[in-house]
Amino acid sequence: MKTTTFLALASLCVSALAQDPPKQIDVTKLPKETRVVEDVIVPVPSEIFGVLDKLGKPNWVAVQRPLKKVAKPFGEPAQQALYLGTVIAEGFIAVEAGDAKEVKNIGNSVLSLSTELGVRKAVIARANAIINAADAGKWADVRRELDGALSEVKDALMLLKSADLAHLIALGGWIRGTEALCEVVARDYSRDGADLLHQPVLVEHFDSKLKNLKSRAKKHPLVPKAQKSLKEIRPLIGLADGAEISAKSVKEIGGIVAALVKEIQSK
Amino acid sequence: MKRLFSILAAIAVSLGPVHASVDEALSFALEAAQPYIKEGFTVREDYWGGDMAVKQPKAITHQLFKGNEYWFWIGTDEKGAKVSVHIYDSDGNLCEVESKQKAQMAMVRVIPKRTGTYYLIVEIEKSKAERTHWGMAYGFR
Repeated sequence: MKTTTFLALASLCVSALAQDPPKQIDVTKLPKETRVVEDVIVPVPSEIFGVLDKLGKPNWVAVQRPLKKVAKPFGEPAQQALYLGTVIAEGFIAVEAGDAKEVKNIGNSVLSLSTELGVRKAVIARANAIINAADAGKWADVRRELDGALSEVKDALMLLKSADLAHLIALGGWIRGTEALCEVVARDYSRDGADLLHQPVLVEHFDSKLKNLKSRAKKHPLVPKAQKSLKEIRPLIGLADGAEISAKSVKEIGGIVAALVKEIQSK
Repeated sequence: MKRLFSILAAIAVSLGPVHASVDEALSFALEAAQPYIKEGFTVREDYWGGDMAVKQPKAITHQLFKGNEYWFWIGTDEKGAKVSVHIYDSDGNLCEVESKQKAQMAMVRVIPKRTGTYYLIVEIEKSKAERTHWGMAYGFR
């Protein structure tokens, strides 16, 4: 169902919603007017990792791709933003793996990459909190601070009128997170695990953001590559809610995003 | 309409009372969240808010994951105003398992039966003001 369709219908149902919300809305009756708060709420990584925790105990160490040292910025801002997103996602994986040393490395890397993007001030407290919580082995706190770091870097970039870079950070995080998720699910396939990949609205959201990039970021070679990847992923993630995502599809999605992460992280 | 409350808060310096009201509206939402934080819900630090006319609902698209449980909280700073929030799945089915409405706040709980796209409908049901500020937060566990 198209978002606009539903939203339009919702606006028709004002009186019903006001008192007793309708049990179901007929999406075939489409009024013209829609009023959207925003296109979509992108979940924080903790929402996905939380579900994975409940499904079992994946071998996160095998999924990890340690930075080994503090990441340094390279390339143009578009690549830096995508790279920062992947580094933050790596932080979540390091938390799952219980790797305090790597988490601290990532905290410092977030600071290093944010500095180059001009948002050091916004993230310094978070980066320090990540490092301190990792030292104390407080993994839930590290997760919360990583969620917060992602948000604050994006917010700071928005305030600097660099919304494009904010979207690219979110995309970078989503790509590396999806790669890790595919690897975990592929190692021990379950329908519930694969179901976590069913994110058509997010694929659509990121594709839309890439299409609407306004700055010179749009000209960066990674942008069309990311668009191509999203196009390839779309039919594999289950177009309808509840559709089964096969083990083969999980591997295919994983291969697509892994190739893209490699490009993002290559100088 | 701004997505992130933190952005709203930041520009409140220039817009003063307008965004201060969104801030206050959000404080009602967060007040509603308090008991659930004690139950283990993690409240996301991003917030959504703005202002709406009465009976002009807005919809928010959201990706939810089966395996999580969610609470959405909405508040308003307008005394005597009534707000509501409801949630539907991608087929248009009302899918909340619990909803509550109190003075200046409302909340809804959902346990997604499947991972996918969901739609929150937020509305000012009653208010004396022409435009009423609202703020929304959510938590998950």
